[in-house]
Amino acid sequence: MRPSACAKGGPLSRASERTKTVVAALLGLVVLAGAGALLVAWLGLYNVAASSGHWPIVERFLRFGMENSVKARASGEPAPSLDDDDLIRLGAGHFHAGCAFCHGAPGTPISPVAAGMMPSPPDLKQRVGHWRDQDLFRIVKHGIKYAGMPAFPVLGRDDEVWAVVAFLRRLPVLDEAGYRALAAGEVEEEPQSGQEIATGEASEEGAIGACARCHGAQTGPKSRLVPNLHGQPREMLAEALKSYASRERQSGVMQTMAAGLTEQSINRLAGYYAGLPPVAQRPLATEPDAARMERGRKLAEEGEVSGEIPACLSCHAPGRSPLYPRLAGQSARYLAGQLHVWKSGLNDRTALGAIMAPIARRLSADQIADVAAFLASQPAADEARR
Amino acid sequence: MSVARLTLLVASLPALAGCSEIQSALAPRGPDAERILTLGLVLLVGAIAILLIVLVALVLALYGSDRWRRRLASANAVKLGGLAFPIVTLTILLGYGIWLMREELAAAVRPPALRIEVTGEQWWWRLAYLQPDGSRIAEANEIRIPVGQEVEFALNAADVIHSFWVPSLGGKLDMVPGRTNRLRLTAQREGIYRGQCAEYCGGPHALMALEIVAMPAEAFERWLAAAASPPEPVTEAARAGRDLFHRSGCGACHAIRGTEARGAVGPDLSRLGGRRFLAAASLRLDEDSIGRFIHDGQSLKPGNQMPEFRIFSATELRMLSAYLASLK
Repeated sequence: MRPSACAKGGPLSRASERTKTVVAALLGLVVLAGAGALLVAWLGLYNVAASSGHWPIVERFLRFGMENSVKARASGEPAPSLDDDDLIRLGAGHFHAGCAFCHGAPGTPISPVAAGMMPSPPDLKQRVGHWRDQDLFRIVKHGIKYAGMPAFPVLGRDDEVWAVVAFLRRLPVLDEAGYRALAAGEVEEEPQSGQEIATGEASEEGAIGACARCHGAQTGPKSRLVPNLHGQPREMLAEALKSYASRERQSGVMQTMAAGLTEQSINRLAGYYAGLPPVAQRPLATEPDAARMERGRKLAEEGEVSGEIPACLSCHAPGRSPLYPRLAGQSARYLAGQLHVWKSGLNDRTALGAIMAPIARRLSADQIADVAAFLASQPAADEARR
Repeated sequence: MSVARLTLLVASLPALAGCSEIQSALAPRGPDAERILTLGLVLLVGAIAILLIVLVALVLALYGSDRWRRRLASANAVKLGGLAFPIVTLTILLGYGIWLMREELAAAVRPPALRIEVTGEQWWWRLAYLQPDGSRIAEANEIRIPVGQEVEFALNAADVIHSFWVPSLGGKLDMVPGRTNRLRLTAQREGIYRGQCAEYCGGPHALMALEIVAMPAEAFERWLAAAASPPEPVTEAARAGRDLFHRSGCGACHAIRGTEARGAVGPDLSRLGGRRFLAAASLRLDEDSIGRFIHDGQSLKPGNQMPEFRIFSATELRMLSAYLASLK
């Protein structure tokens, strides 16, 4: 407003007087509303009890806001192919440990404890069809504020989040047996004796923490995205579990599983898998071509001096430090996935990750594919028994 | 500050550079460096003289008598001072420079006493002593040469442009990926001459230094011949360190002659214990510093290509250090 226009008492000056009054009234209202809100909070007038629920109109408004927020913020990037057995099995393994307690699962209704939440966790079978892949990704990765839906334990591992989304897409068509096969693998909940159930010796909860659900025990891992632990060095396995438990190594799936383990159980677990004889990975549907294998062999055995890449097998071979994993016989998808995780800047905080991260960053995507294909083709050596 | 003190300070600056003779173009210890200094001094004295003449002319043009001002404004003054004088001076200087460099030009046909290949890499120097039989002895970062003998350095670069400069012995020469530049140096006196990568090459460029150790010819020959018989670790700790070195995969990047370690990514460690410095002359070498570099290398030389090996305990670091320090 130009001061010169209001200097003398003209029509403009009267208009400005009116504006001033309106602004003052609005300010007064804002202050009053603030004071009112403070009073409501102070006196405890609003009922925060989960049991009290929302008025239907409030409920509808909140859902409206939530759905629009998720859709507006979901990534526009195309989703990876989700009709992928390896991805679905990995996602199922995590769903069983991380999601089923609140959301239930085929054959297991939502826990009465979780059902008492406000809002209560939805039955995902009914709800997943409502969302696009990217929306589900957004919800699984970032969670939903005020709804009790947590964010994924690690925000850098989109590959793991997609695994959960892939499983959610499969969920609506799963019956109890189908779900068990995916989420529990070879771990079977045998009918237990009354005493076992009563004393918790072999409880249903125990099966949730079972490593063999994903990594196998009698057989190998059920997903090619899961590492083969059989016959790996005990020290390496223990270090990996400790770094997951301390959340220094980034994996939402493994942090969830390792968080509750004591040092003693970590050492026992590591000893168990270290003592198992190596098992073969499920082979890929298509064999990699010979040129790729040869490039991978050269990189694994000789490295590449011009790219400052040391030979993988200088460290990752039998007879080397037991802190280093043995890579022969791991699945190509798992190896490539881990190298990409390092390349993306994750997992470099632990003492062991600090060694591998800079080396992985020097590898191109093609080199990663080459070397993963070669190492996967190699037979795992039975070190513990030699 | 008074004019006298300022003059004194400025005048003493070159002397300050001469304080540390280990890396100074003002303290030449080889014929190449001597010629560069001579040429530099001629240029400096000449430039001062010319500057004085110009200043005198300027003062005369501003405050001089009318006769002087007329002379300076004449066409002859411009022809003489602006054309003839630079042509004559620069021609003489060019002739003098070529005459001074006749040694270098002749060197191309004279066989050197020793050939050493130096490859600049981020951020260290890969060395190879070329033997008469065609074999190569790998070394890194510390160049030993026989005193009084002409050595030819074949300069390469593995990644980006580096520059090889040991000011006390000679001029600066760039190391360019894909081509070999040749430099001849002779150390006239025994001693240690420090050099520096003189072309910014990224990250820890400032910590990419080297040393040339000029030693008596017989001692040099003995040292070079000893490369054929690598030492065996004698102490308990050194033997444990050797086993740990191989088990931990250090040989993926580093080579130690006579062992299974044949990595060519990083510096050759066959005679690490005999060097004065670690990490391209950036860290004084002793058993303590070897362990520290293995464990905390990224703090000591930030950005260097070797990952930190924080997996080693203090005892393991001592064992590794004992082994590496025993390699002489």
